[in-house]
Amino acid sequence: MIEPVVSLRGISKHFGSVIANHEIDFDIYGGRVHALLGENGAGKSTLMSILAGRYKPDNGSIAINGNTVSFPSPASALEHGIGMVYQRFMLIESMSVAENLLLSAHEKIGQGRTNQRIRDTAEQYGLDVDPCKHIFELSMGERQRVEIIKLLLLDAQILIFDEPTAVLTPPEIDAFFSVIDKLRNDNKGIVFITHKLEEVLKLADDISVMRKGRLIISTKADKKQISKRQLARLMVGRDVVLQVDKEPVETGDTVLSLDSLCGKSSVGGTSFKDISFEVKRGEIFSIVGVAGNGQSALVAAITGLNKARSGQLSFLDNAYTPREWVNASKDHIAYVPEDRYHTGCVGTMSICDNSALTRLSSYSTGFGGMLLDRQRMFDDCAAAIKTFNIKAESPDDTAQTLSGGNLQKVILARELSREPKLFIAEQPTQGLDISATEEIWQALLDCRKNAAVLLVTGDLKEVLSLSDRIGVIFNGQILEIIDARDADAVGRVGLLMAGVIP
Amino acid sequence: MIRIEKRTQFPKHHHLIAALIAFVIAFSSGCIIFLCLGVNPLTAYLAMFKGVFGSFHSFSEVLVKATPLTFTGLAVAVAAMMMLWNIGAEGQLVWGGIFAAGTALYLLPSAPVSILIPMIIAASACGGMMWALIPGILKARFNVNEILTTLLLNYVAIIYMEHLFYGPLRDPAGFGFPGTAQIPEAAHLVRFVGTRIHLGFPLALICALLLFFLLNKSTWGYQIRVIGSEVRAARYAGFNVTRQTLTVMALSGALAGMAGMAEVCGIHYRLQTGLAVGYGYDGIIVAWLAQLNPLAVPFTAVLLGALFVGGEQLQTVLGLPSTISLILEAALLFGLFGGQAMIKYKIVFSGSTKQNQPAPHNTGKIS
Repeated sequence: MIEPVVSLRGISKHFGSVIANHEIDFDIYGGRVHALLGENGAGKSTLMSILAGRYKPDNGSIAINGNTVSFPSPASALEHGIGMVYQRFMLIESMSVAENLLLSAHEKIGQGRTNQRIRDTAEQYGLDVDPCKHIFELSMGERQRVEIIKLLLLDAQILIFDEPTAVLTPPEIDAFFSVIDKLRNDNKGIVFITHKLEEVLKLADDISVMRKGRLIISTKADKKQISKRQLARLMVGRDVVLQVDKEPVETGDTVLSLDSLCGKSSVGGTSFKDISFEVKRGEIFSIVGVAGNGQSALVAAITGLNKARSGQLSFLDNAYTPREWVNASKDHIAYVPEDRYHTGCVGTMSICDNSALTRLSSYSTGFGGMLLDRQRMFDDCAAAIKTFNIKAESPDDTAQTLSGGNLQKVILARELSREPKLFIAEQPTQGLDISATEEIWQALLDCRKNAAVLLVTGDLKEVLSLSDRIGVIFNGQILEIIDARDADAVGRVGLLMAGVIP
Repeated sequence: MIRIEKRTQFPKHHHLIAALIAFVIAFSSGCIIFLCLGVNPLTAYLAMFKGVFGSFHSFSEVLVKATPLTFTGLAVAVAAMMMLWNIGAEGQLVWGGIFAAGTALYLLPSAPVSILIPMIIAASACGGMMWALIPGILKARFNVNEILTTLLLNYVAIIYMEHLFYGPLRDPAGFGFPGTAQIPEAAHLVRFVGTRIHLGFPLALICALLLFFLLNKSTWGYQIRVIGSEVRAARYAGFNVTRQTLTVMALSGALAGMAGMAEVCGIHYRLQTGLAVGYGYDGIIVAWLAQLNPLAVPFTAVLLGALFVGGEQLQTVLGLPSTISLILEAALLFGLFGGQAMIKYKIVFSGSTKQNQPAPHNTGKIS
């Protein structure tokens, strides 16, 4: 039996009331690739940031070759040979490759022969990069190679990759895999965080799956033992318990329909292509997928915050091209955005002010609508606090004093009060406790009596509890649209989310 | 380990506490400087105090200085509400002065007071607005950093003004002194009770009131506050960030332009050296001391004005350089930012009770 080089024991980490990691044991062996699987928010990155010295664990210990260590900083983790390539590269764009490497590894490189040292290391592992180029000239794949060279120059023996393939093109992914192979042959210990199953089965020697801050399973990757299907099930989980009363509602007119809509994300995330579906009044249509599969870009296109590239949108029997849609009036659309802290509200402004954020025109009065009807804003807000059971002292408190659940209820109340024809909710219960979740679920179910509801979520439990129809999105495409009453088909949702077509 | 953490709960009246810290820091650094100059700080501060509150006339001079400072303070504050740094109030003030003098001397030289004064006020606002819209458009359209553009345009404005009164607009009957001819009497702002306090001061107070009202009670002000605090939320709510960048810069420039008008038509009665003496830059301090609250701006403007008048007193009474007031002014601003940081952050002493002590170097090193 080989001893692990690094072993984590009983690692726990809380952020406020959120449990990111709960008593996790994790081993890394030299010359082996350990894949760490899980959905977004499962706690993978937190665990690895603890190992890389960025966070301090609340509890638990880290041992290297049997000696207990603790890392006050990433630099001290690196001193012990542990380095991490983050999703967002830590490089200075205006400086050259060599300068970036010197910045972190000048002691190891020494003077005068920088470029030669870099070229030697690069060649050894097939990391083709020109040391004289500036970072901003490089592709994402090249930047990643710079990060890897940086760790190798610092003599890192354990390399941690956080979703390394997320930003790479397919040929770059192949090149990256061969680099990983070389590192493994050189007896380096590798951890890579991902939610892509093919990569896991292709590369990993060991597999661990995390869900909601807990380690579900840790096993050797014997290809006969474990299948994509099993991994998907472990990753997404299937403990579905219905907690809300879902009365059947008769569907009415089609409110929104998309016809082969294609688009790009504004920040370079996954784009979406050929999206076609329709949402009727009286139903909750869910778009479900693991985060990062194009759903954010799709929602931005539907809400008109971003322009789709091609295709057609119809809203209440009017057809729009993407260009027309961006400028069209969206008075009948309410939208609860995913980022409730910085998009859905303004933390430094009062709850009352936040209740008017998307409804400014309905509170304008006097001087040609230039003035705000503050009294009515205050009264409406106070009423909403009562109806939605929001725990706030007064409408004048700032929004940042509210808990996540209460803040979400403020946003929900505001959006519902717009009496929308289409209600879009994006990850509405992410990070909320059970009672807030139930209240929001109930509100969404009630909302569909008068509106079409488009729910975008990665939470399978939420989908199965609320949806009338389910569209599974993977890699920018809708793989299948499933009727929630079809029990057999619903069983496939988890697999489809992981890109497995049964 | 000692860490610095952001506070989630602010202490009550934290604005006042920050201002208090600023005063303590400013006055204690003033003490050090007076001691270095071999003067008893108490004597010096007493001289300053007497210089300001000693007579009705001396205090009236404070209000004279507070007039342009209120305008420029408001100009900086309204832009800063939207996270725009208008360092260019000085140049906008100059253009306000040029437009005011131009209107009075050339456009409507013989108009009656009732027409001329409103026209001059409007013209000066337009002048400042024009100058502020250059960086405004560059910011809104091309995202050019407004700190640089507003600052650099100050020099352009000042040099152009000098060109005007040394060159084409120089008073032919002025015995060769640089400066334009005196503006007609109808263009002089009314002065009150034998002092140099003029119509500009109540006008500045009205502007402060109006701005406060606009920011807090209008849909426009609401949008400005949202854009300034959380631009993503503003886009989500469908606000036009580009357009509001322009309106805010225009308003900011107009306010600064009116400061120039107040100086030209209230004090100098002509365009001459001495118009650009730094009120635009002092406006930054006025605005931040007031924590960007328009209603507090007149008070901080009076405070700064008192500092200047008191500084002049040091020179005449104790023979000290009047520039000491500039040092006190700078100390005040540093103290304010220091005070704000102390309120925003707290120092946390975190023990390592749960963690293992760091291993001695190299024991756990992988080799």
